[in-house]
Amino acid sequence: MGEQASRRVPFVLPSPNRPHGLMASAQVIALRGGGVSGIELAPAEIQVLQDLTIFAFAPFVSGAIAHFEARLQGRRGPRILQPYYDIAKLFHKETLAPEDASWVFLACPIIAFACYLTVPLLIPVLTSYPLPLGYMGDILGGGFILALAGFSIALGAAETGAPYAQLGSSRAMTFGALVEPSILFVTFTVALVTTTDLPYFEAAAVRSSLSQVVRPAHLLAAFAFFLVVLADTGRIPVETHASTLEFGMIDEARTLEHSGTPFALLKWGSAMKQMILYVILMNVFLAPWGLAGSRQLGSVLLAVPTFLAKALGIGAIFAVVDNSFSKLRLFKITEFMAAAFLLAVLAVLVLYLSGR
Amino acid sequence: MSALTAAVSSQSTITDAAEAVAILVLLSEFAMLRAALSRSQVRLYAFQSLSVSALAVIVAATRHIGDLYVLAGLSLVLKVIIVPAIVLRLLREVEGDLAGSHRLGVASMVLLAIALSVFGIFVVGTMPIHSKSLPVLAFAVAAAVILVAFLLVIVRSDVVSQAVGFFSLENGVSVASLVLAAGLPLIAEVAFLFDLLVAVVVFGVLMRVHHGRTSTLSTRTLERLRG
Amino acid sequence: MSAVLVAIMVIPFAASLACWWAPAGLAKALTLTAGVATFGLAVGLVSSGRVATALSGWLRVDSLSLVFLLAVGFLYTSTAVFTIGYVRPSGDPLDAARYSRRFFSGLNLFAWAMAMAPLVNGLALLWVAIEVTTVISALLVAIDDTDGAIEAAWKYVLIASMGLSIALLATLVMYYAGTSALGSSYELFYPKLLGAAHGFPPEVVRLSFGLAVLGFGTKMGLVPVHTWLPDAHSEAPTPISALLSGAVLTISFYAILRFYQVTVRAVGPAFPRDVLLVFGLASLVLAALYLASQRDLKRLLAYSSVEHMGILAIGMSFSAPVAVVGVLLHVLAHAAAKSTAFFGAGSVIRKFGTKELDRVRGGVGALPWSGPMLLLAVLALSAMPPFGIFRSEFLIVEGGLRSSATALAAVLVALVTIAFLGISWYASQTMLTPLPDGVLRGETSNWMVGSMAIGLGALVLLGVHPPAQLSELLARAASELGTTR
Repeated sequence: MGEQASRRVPFVLPSPNRPHGLMASAQVIALRGGGVSGIELAPAEIQVLQDLTIFAFAPFVSGAIAHFEARLQGRRGPRILQPYYDIAKLFHKETLAPEDASWVFLACPIIAFACYLTVPLLIPVLTSYPLPLGYMGDILGGGFILALAGFSIALGAAETGAPYAQLGSSRAMTFGALVEPSILFVTFTVALVTTTDLPYFEAAAVRSSLSQVVRPAHLLAAFAFFLVVLADTGRIPVETHASTLEFGMIDEARTLEHSGTPFALLKWGSAMKQMILYVILMNVFLAPWGLAGSRQLGSVLLAVPTFLAKALGIGAIFAVVDNSFSKLRLFKITEFMAAAFLLAVLAVLVLYLSGR
Repeated sequence: MSALTAAVSSQSTITDAAEAVAILVLLSEFAMLRAALSRSQVRLYAFQSLSVSALAVIVAATRHIGDLYVLAGLSLVLKVIIVPAIVLRLLREVEGDLAGSHRLGVASMVLLAIALSVFGIFVVGTMPIHSKSLPVLAFAVAAAVILVAFLLVIVRSDVVSQAVGFFSLENGVSVASLVLAAGLPLIAEVAFLFDLLVAVVVFGVLMRVHHGRTSTLSTRTLERLRG
Repeated sequence: MSAVLVAIMVIPFAASLACWWAPAGLAKALTLTAGVATFGLAVGLVSSGRVATALSGWLRVDSLSLVFLLAVGFLYTSTAVFTIGYVRPSGDPLDAARYSRRFFSGLNLFAWAMAMAPLVNGLALLWVAIEVTTVISALLVAIDDTDGAIEAAWKYVLIASMGLSIALLATLVMYYAGTSALGSSYELFYPKLLGAAHGFPPEVVRLSFGLAVLGFGTKMGLVPVHTWLPDAHSEAPTPISALLSGAVLTISFYAILRFYQVTVRAVGPAFPRDVLLVFGLASLVLAALYLASQRDLKRLLAYSSVEHMGILAIGMSFSAPVAVVGVLLHVLAHAAAKSTAFFGAGSVIRKFGTKELDRVRGGVGALPWSGPMLLLAVLALSAMPPFGIFRSEFLIVEGGLRSSATALAAVLVALVTIAFLGISWYASQTMLTPLPDGVLRGETSNWMVGSMAIGLGALVLLGVHPPAQLSELLARAASELGTTR
């Protein structure tokens, strides 16, 4: 990483962030006066709270899953809050950039992070009803923004001219392109059921009756999306999450050249991306219960730990899958993608045929 | 549990169950396409036949056709137990020649199979064929299974895969018969099953003879006659 | 009357069982007896002129099925005569005994299944009978146990069985079409189907007919699903090739005709005729082209069979009734001619020890009886008068001209001529060249000659002066296939 000549980049560091969403709300309550219960939050505040939840708890979920995985393997594992410490450490480190890289290299992590901050506005994180900015983009829009984030990271990696970074970038783009059709067809499933592709309505449809969860089309789409998330979060059988073997890296290799604050943003961003994908998987397909149904402060605040519990649950499942299978050889990943695509297509066809 | 059954009408659960089983039939067909080992192909065929028998039981229950229970039982014994046993015994005699061979890559095969299924499903969707007991999906799945079975026979170049492909074609026609002709007299149905048994025996004999002559299960030696 | 039907059902099956334990000589005699008996019984049915049923309706013979029963019976007889001379003990006596036991009981069982197909009442049992013929003939194709035979048998059983699965689907779709008029549980008997056919949903019947032509066309040898045919015909033992060409293809055509009967009454004649025309033209074109470049004598004859099946299909697509009469006569004449040709090929192969067309020379000289008869059979296949095929093809072309499908009739004649060029080139190369050194003059077996004489005699009879009762039978059968709604 340090073989190329580098230049020092003066960078102003903000102080490390601490989760203080709850405190902000507490200040609001103190300003307004009155008791804690029965306070209604404005939709804009809930929207901000959603974003803050993802922003604040993403490294926590990441750390918890890593700890759990280590326990599965019989090790003691890192602290659950370790990612926070890692990110804090990185903010204090100097930022280096390769000689030939331009401003794009430094801008890309920021663009990616901005994208990851935008997507939680569009998906049902805490509430079961759409929030005002939730109409800004549907699932396709959310998917587009996520793809933009991935693209910008890959662009930054390609900028560097380093071999492993470019390897990772090209692989990531290829497999990302293969994953796109599956995501599209999963979106079509949602659209066929609810005649829109706003994720809120799909969640509502699933919540309406228990039998909806075990409808074949729904299960197929959910399983297809599960495979997609497996691929996108870099888990076995697609990629080894925790290894440093560059030959097998796809997503990990893109960030090899970054350092300092941009690298911190990248790590945080990837944890946020993982959490966003879990949100879509859990709150739209598999378990859309426990979301706040009203704007009451109590119910919204209750939705946060419920959501965290669900994210940890699905994360645990992913960890078990990670440890149960072996990594696929690179050329067999196309088979994996084809299988996910097959399930998504079947889901659409089943819905089309049953006319429901 | 009672709350659930109260909440959900039984009719739609049965339809859902039938849908799920039909999808299992199609998915096992795709899995057969992808399976590398001939032994796993045979096991997938047994699973597929089990699903078909389950569908037969569902039709028998919803339309109160007693004959179909008998048929489901017979086809279970024949297609889930006897036919796989015959093929597995042949495979056991063949040592070291268990992995099949694909002419195309797996991803291309799956994409081609998806295209064929979509074609079959759309063609069938335009037909005015409705079963009283099974969802529309069942006939579409039958058409898709038949087309993918054809693909299976074409792209695999070993004798066992081709035989299993033919058997799964028969399964697809069975699903179609549940949709089209659930009330077909038992004699005809038994005749069809018996025919399948005889065909399986002949397939087995020819496979054994082929293996005896060429010590391989590949069909690459079966491509000499041309023109 | 019903006793005759039951007798036809029982005799070949009993012969097959008996041949399992009988020594070769006795088996040959049994086969010949069974063949003559079957054919005789079928001929006896011609004179009755009525529909015969037996076993409370499970067996039923009307004029249409009688035509095909006659073809099967005739082939059974002449093949039995041929096998007396063809199957000779050679090599290890134990092996020879096992071969002849398997061969003869298989042959009789094969003939039984083929006789059952026009005998049974209903589309379901028809399918079962044809599937049984597939299964038995696959084992018979492989009986010689050569590399080519195994390959041909595997391809045959795989492709034919898959085609028959499609045909089964067609039967089921037709059953579904019938449920609207006949209730959800009924037998697929012909009289009931034909009576209610006008009320069937047309879309479904069209699907059924298309699938039936595709499925049964696989066994009939229609392009593009004919691919098993050249291999199976060339690698099987000669009597089996003769039965395949003459009888199995014909019986599959019979099955298509049954579906045609129902379809015509349900949706009118235009759609089935178009479908048959497409497949028939494809078969004729492909066969005519392939006939020009063959290396193997029996493969040559196999492609000629494809050609004739194409002619049958095109003949059915003409709307004039005389074309249908021609088609049915062609079924009989082609059976006789093709079997004679295959028997001649068998003699040639026995004499010269090879099937390759390049290596056979001077056939007429080497085989003073079989040679010229083979040549006559080949010419008969190309519609030379006074043989039966000339009459039948003439009727077909006349039908085409009468139904104002003049262009199609012209195309038919042109393609038949091209096929004639191909096959006669090879025939003259092998037959009319001078005898090479080292080949002795003389017949291999008189029985083989006899079978050819039977075939040619029948051809001459059909061509010069078909018996009046036969013509009546053909006319009745044609009207059964007619377009009365």
